[in-house]
Amino acid sequence: MVEPSVATCAPTILCEARGVSHDFTMPNKQTLRVLENVDLAIRANEVVALLGPSGCGKSTILRILAGLVHQTQGEVLYHGQPLVGLNPGVAIVFQSFALFPWMTVAENVSAVLVAAGLPTPAIEERVAKVIRLVGLGGFKDAHPRQLSGGMKQRVGIARALAVDPEVLFLDEPFSQVDALTAESLRAELIDIWSAAHRNPLSVLMVSHNIEEVVFMADRIVILGANPGRVLTCVDNPLPRPRDFRSTKVQQLVEHLHDIITHAHMPDVATPPLATPPIGIEPIPAVSSGEIVGLLEYLDARAGRGELFGIAGDTNKEFGRTIAVVKAAEMLDFVDTPGRLVILEADGRRFVKAGPAERKTIWREQLLKLRLFRTVFDMIQRQPDHEIEKDLVLETIVMNMPQENYNKIFDTFLRWSRVGGLFAYDEDTQRLSIPSP
Amino acid sequence: MIRWHVPRKVGWIDLLLVAGLAGLLFVVVDFAREWTGVYRPTIEIDLSPSALPLYTLFSLTRGFIAYGISLAFTLAYGYWAAKDHAAERVLVPLLDILQSIPVLGFMPALVVTLVAAFPSNNVGLELAAIVMIFTGQAWNMTFSFYHSLRSIPADVSEAATAFRFSGWQRFKWVELPFSTTGLVWNSMMSMAGGWFFLMISESFRLGDKDFRLPGIGAYMSVAVDRGNVLAMIEALVAMVAMIVVIDQIVWRPVVAWAQKFRVEEGGSATEVSSWFLSWLRRSRIIAGVERVMHRLTSRTTQRKVRASRENAAFATHRTATILSRLVLVVVVGLLAFGAWSLVRVLRDVSVGEWGGLAGSAGLTLSRVLVSTALGTLWTLPLGLAIGLSPRLSRILQPVVQVVASFPAPMLFPLIIAALAISHVPLGVGSVVLMLLGTQWYILFNVIAGAMAIPSDLREAASAYRIRGWHRFWSLYFPGVFPFLVTGWVTAAGGAWNASIVAEYVTFHGRVLRTDGLGARISSAAAQARIPLLVASVLVMSAVVVIFNRTVWRRCYELAESRFSLSR
Repeated sequence: MVEPSVATCAPTILCEARGVSHDFTMPNKQTLRVLENVDLAIRANEVVALLGPSGCGKSTILRILAGLVHQTQGEVLYHGQPLVGLNPGVAIVFQSFALFPWMTVAENVSAVLVAAGLPTPAIEERVAKVIRLVGLGGFKDAHPRQLSGGMKQRVGIARALAVDPEVLFLDEPFSQVDALTAESLRAELIDIWSAAHRNPLSVLMVSHNIEEVVFMADRIVILGANPGRVLTCVDNPLPRPRDFRSTKVQQLVEHLHDIITHAHMPDVATPPLATPPIGIEPIPAVSSGEIVGLLEYLDARAGRGELFGIAGDTNKEFGRTIAVVKAAEMLDFVDTPGRLVILEADGRRFVKAGPAERKTIWREQLLKLRLFRTVFDMIQRQPDHEIEKDLVLETIVMNMPQENYNKIFDTFLRWSRVGGLFAYDEDTQRLSIPSP
Repeated sequence: MIRWHVPRKVGWIDLLLVAGLAGLLFVVVDFAREWTGVYRPTIEIDLSPSALPLYTLFSLTRGFIAYGISLAFTLAYGYWAAKDHAAERVLVPLLDILQSIPVLGFMPALVVTLVAAFPSNNVGLELAAIVMIFTGQAWNMTFSFYHSLRSIPADVSEAATAFRFSGWQRFKWVELPFSTTGLVWNSMMSMAGGWFFLMISESFRLGDKDFRLPGIGAYMSVAVDRGNVLAMIEALVAMVAMIVVIDQIVWRPVVAWAQKFRVEEGGSATEVSSWFLSWLRRSRIIAGVERVMHRLTSRTTQRKVRASRENAAFATHRTATILSRLVLVVVVGLLAFGAWSLVRVLRDVSVGEWGGLAGSAGLTLSRVLVSTALGTLWTLPLGLAIGLSPRLSRILQPVVQVVASFPAPMLFPLIIAALAISHVPLGVGSVVLMLLGTQWYILFNVIAGAMAIPSDLREAASAYRIRGWHRFWSLYFPGVFPFLVTGWVTAAGGAWNASIVAEYVTFHGRVLRTDGLGARISSAAAQARIPLLVASVLVMSAVVVIFNRTVWRRCYELAESRFSLSR
C-alpha cells in the first residue's frame, strides 16, 4: 500500500483520466468505440458517481482507472504520475460480488491480505476488524453460498476495505441486492467513509440509479452512450444525512431527470447530439413485448406518462425505459415532448385493435422505418423472394457502422416476426416474405 | 459433470499433428530395436490364490503411480495451453488427437524402448506398463482442467488481479479450486479407463518375445492361456474387490471433500457422503497433521510473497513467455521430425496393404456404430428409469459406477468361451465384446441427463397428460440428448480402442481373429511388423478424428442449438 502523503489538505487529485478513449475488438474483428475522450478526476475526500444507462462504458472507465483495462488512447494518472499496471491505491467492490465460493467469509478477506504480503498476526487482527465493521461478526466461518445477496456484498465491501485503499471503487455495488438491503448498505457505506479518519479518502461509484447517486455522491458525472462520453457534471453540496423527502433532494433528482432526458431524448427542435453518419437510425434492442407493454401502460393512464415515473412504476432502469420509449417513438406510437410520453393516434389504434389487426398495424409501422423498407425491397427484387442473412447484416454494417450488427439483427428479426413481415429459417439462414 | 471437448473442423494442423505423432512413435521404435535381444529375466506367474493379493497390490501401485504422472501432466499441460495463446493453438488439437490414438498403438514402441533402456532388469517393463496406463488416463483429465481454467468467471479472475494475487496464489486460491470438481470426476473416469488394457500392459507379446510383469492382469492372461477357469474367476473377484476398495477409500471421500469447491449456488444438488471421510475427520491425528501442514504452507507463501514483490511482475511474465515459446518450438520441431520419419517408414507399406487397411477400417467402423446403437437401445430406457427415480438413482448409481470401472477385457475370455459354445463367429462376437466395454459410458450419461431434466417440465408433461411414446419423444429424448451425445462420443472412442482386443483374441493358446482394423493392429504388433503397425494405428487415428470432427461435431451443434436446457 502506498502511504498517503497528505491526509487532509486542499483537494489534491488522487487519480485522473485525461482524454481517455477505448475500443473493444469483438470476436468478429469489428472494433467498437466504447469510450470517447473521457476526462475525469477523483479528488481527495469526495464521493464521485458515474451515472449512465447500461452500455455507456461506465464500468470500463472504472476498470481503466483501476488499471485492470488499458485504455486505447489518452492517459491515466495516479498522484500525478502515469499509471503503470494496477492502480496501487484502489480496491474494487464488484457488482457480482466476485467472492471465492470455496472460501469462508474470513478466508475471502484474509486471502487478499496474504496477497498484499501482511504478516500473519496483522492479518488476523485486520480480518476481525473489517468483518466487525461491515456487521458480519457472526458469519466469519460461513461460506458465501450460505449468505444472501446483501450479506455477500458486505463481504465484498469488507474485502475491499481490508487492504486499506486510498480510493474505494464501487461497480454497481447494489444492483444485485434487494432494494431494502441496498438502502441500509448505502447508509452504512457512507458512515464508514465519513467516519474514516484516513482511508478510504474517496469513493468512486458506478450506478444507473438516480436516487442512489443523489443519496451518496458529492459529484455526479453524467455519461452518454454510443460511444460513452462525459455529458456533464453536477455538484451535490447537500448536507448528509440526506433525506429523500426534502425538497432539495427532490429538486436535484428532478434536475438530473431533465439533463438525462435532454441528452437521450432531445426534442426535434434541438440539434441532435450525435447524428447517425449515413441516414438509418439504429433500432434500440428492446422486445416488442416491452413496447406493447408501454402502450398498454399509457392507455391505462389517459394516454400520458412521465419518463421517470414509468421507470419507477415498471421497476426498470431508466436507460432501459428510455430505449423502450425511443423504440415506440420510432414506430410513431408515442410522442415525447420533454419528459412526457404521450400516446399518439397510431398507438391508440394499436392498443384498441384485436390480435390480427395489431399485426397489420405493426407491419405498416415497421415499413415506415428505412431498415425494414430497404430489406423488404431487396427481397421483392429477388426472383425467389428470399435473401441471405449476410445481406441484411451487410446493410446494417453499411448504414450503422457504430453498432453491434448481430444485436441489431436480433432486434430486427424479433420485430419482423411480430408483424409477420419476414420469416427466417435458421437452418438455411435465409429471410423471406411469408404468404399472408 | 463430465466435460467433453467439442470437436472442431479438421484443419491442416490436425493432419500435421497426426503425422508428426505417428512418425515419432516409429522413430523411437527404430532407435530402440538396435538394443533388443539383451538378457532379460522372465517372470513366472504363480496361479495359486495366495499369490493374488500381492499381485493386486502390484497392479494397484502401477495404477496410482500412473495417476500421479497423469495429474502432473494434466496440471502442466492444461495450464500451459490455457495461459499461452500461441501454444494453445498447437496444444489443444494435439491433445484431441492424442486421445484419438488407440492406446495400444503406443505399446510396442514403449515396451521395446524402455526394455532396451534397462536391459538387465524389469524397470523398463514396469515403466512401459505405467506409461500405458497413463495414456489411458491423462487426456480427458487434461481437457477437463484446460476447460475449467478457460471458464473461470471474468469477475472472479478480475478480483484476483485487482487484489494482486501472485501467480502461485492465483493458482492455489482460484484456478485449482475452480477446476477441482471437474478434475475429481474425470480422475474417477480416468482411473477406470487406465485399467482397460491392464491385461495387455502386464503381459505383452511382440514378435517372439514375451514380456511379463507380476500383477493381476498378467495373472489373468496366464490363467486364460492355461484355460484355468478357477484362476480366472479368482482374478475377476480380486479385480472387483480392488475397484470397490478404491471407490470407498479413495474416490468417495475425495468426491465428498470436493463438494466444497462447487461453484453453483444453492443446495439443490444431492450431498455425497463418505463414511471413510467422516472417520478421517473425526481422527485427532489427522487434525493435528492438518494443522501442521497449514502452518507450513502459510509460512512458505509468505516467504514467496516477499520474494515476488522484489522483482517486477512484468519481467517474470516476459521470461515465462520466452520460455513457453522455446518449449513450443521444441515440440513443433519434434512433430515435424516425426512427420518426416513417418513418410520414410510408410514407404515400406504396399498399396495393397493400404487398400486392406481401408477395407478393415470400414468393417470396424460399422462394428463400432452397431455396438454404440445396441448400447443406446438398452441403456436409454434403463438410464431414464434410474435417473427419473430419486430412489433408484441413489441406490444404483454407485453400483453402475463400480461396474463401469471394471476393465471389460478381463471378461472377454468368458464371453468368448460362451460364443464358441454357441457357434457365433468372432466377426459378430466382437461387437458384443466392444459393447461390454462401452455401454456404461452411455448409461452413465443418460442417468445424468435424466436427473437434469427440470421437474417443472416433467410436471407440465404430467399435467397435460402427455404419456408413453409421446412423452418419450417430446420430453425425455430431447432432454437427455446433449448427454447422450457425450455418451456416444465416449462410447465410440472406447469401442475403437476395444476393437484391438476384441477382433484378435488369444484364447487357450489359440489365436481367434476376424477382419478389422483392430485385428490388423494386434497382429502387426504380434508379428513385430512395425511399418504395418504404424500404418494401421495412423488409419485408426485418422478415422476417429475425422468421425469426431464431422458426425459427432454435428450432434454437438444440434445439442447446443436445439436441446440445451440452459438457454
